[in-house]
Amino acid sequence: MIQTLPYTTLLRYVYNELPVSALPEVEEALQHDPELATACADLLLAQRTLEGLRCEPRPAVSARILEYSRTFPTGS
Amino acid sequence: MESMQLSDSALVTLYLAGQESAFALLLERHRSRTFTTILLIVRDEDVAEDLLQDAFIKAIHVLKSGRYNDEGKFGPWLCRIAHNLAIDAFRRGKRVPHLSLDGDGPLANSLAHSEEGADDALAREETHSRLRELIQELPPAQKEVLLMRHYGDLSFQEIADATGVSINTALGRMRYALINLRKKMAVNPPYYDSNLTLYDPTALRVQRIAS
Repeated sequence: MIQTLPYTTLLRYVYNELPVSALPEVEEALQHDPELATACADLLLAQRTLEGLRCEPRPAVSARILEYSRTFPTGS
Repeated sequence: MESMQLSDSALVTLYLAGQESAFALLLERHRSRTFTTILLIVRDEDVAEDLLQDAFIKAIHVLKSGRYNDEGKFGPWLCRIAHNLAIDAFRRGKRVPHLSLDGDGPLANSLAHSEEGADDALAREETHSRLRELIQELPPAQKEVLLMRHYGDLSFQEIADATGVSINTALGRMRYALINLRKKMAVNPPYYDSNLTLYDPTALRVQRIAS
């Protein structure tokens, strides 16, 4: 089956970069095109998985940055 | 101050007016994304932490010297600083191809913060570890778009502008990055948690449509 929307449009939809006016067309297509809906779900899962990779630095790093900011000479 | 509702632009303004607490909020808001972007490039926690400091210090200098003018897009601006520092460091060879789970490093932090059981946490970390390796194997242009979009909070148009390509090229690179990751994950899957794989679409299909 041929997808009813370009993949790039789907990408921008998943990443919330489409203008609001374009959303109804995408969501209508998703309801009637199972292949597109599957591709959309794949993208959402990939997005969630990639979000799970997020890491935090040690608290001491943040403390050092804040200390630097606090002691930064004003007017320089 | 109802700081959590303030925009980055408002926090920058408050910071420039002398409120250090505004900068603390900017740091809290952007620390994780920036650090992850750097870590996925340099692949060394200590180097990544040094570069994170460098990125914020550079930002502090620009802000406090009155040279900041990024039309309210603090996050993408900071990401570009961090990305450039990380790429420079990577090219200088300031990295080792290993991410440690020992001690109290960031990966250990992510496990410690989890509310799931130890087995689930290990399986999840196995998947994440594999995914980090696979991201390293992506062609540089694809990896760049993926990191900028996912951890740098840049839009595809901003990525296109920053890398000197059209938005369609940026979108195409993201598409192939995801396709390549999927293929690589299929070749040698880690312990699969169905909530983590790139392959079981049924759970989320309706969720996005309804949101």
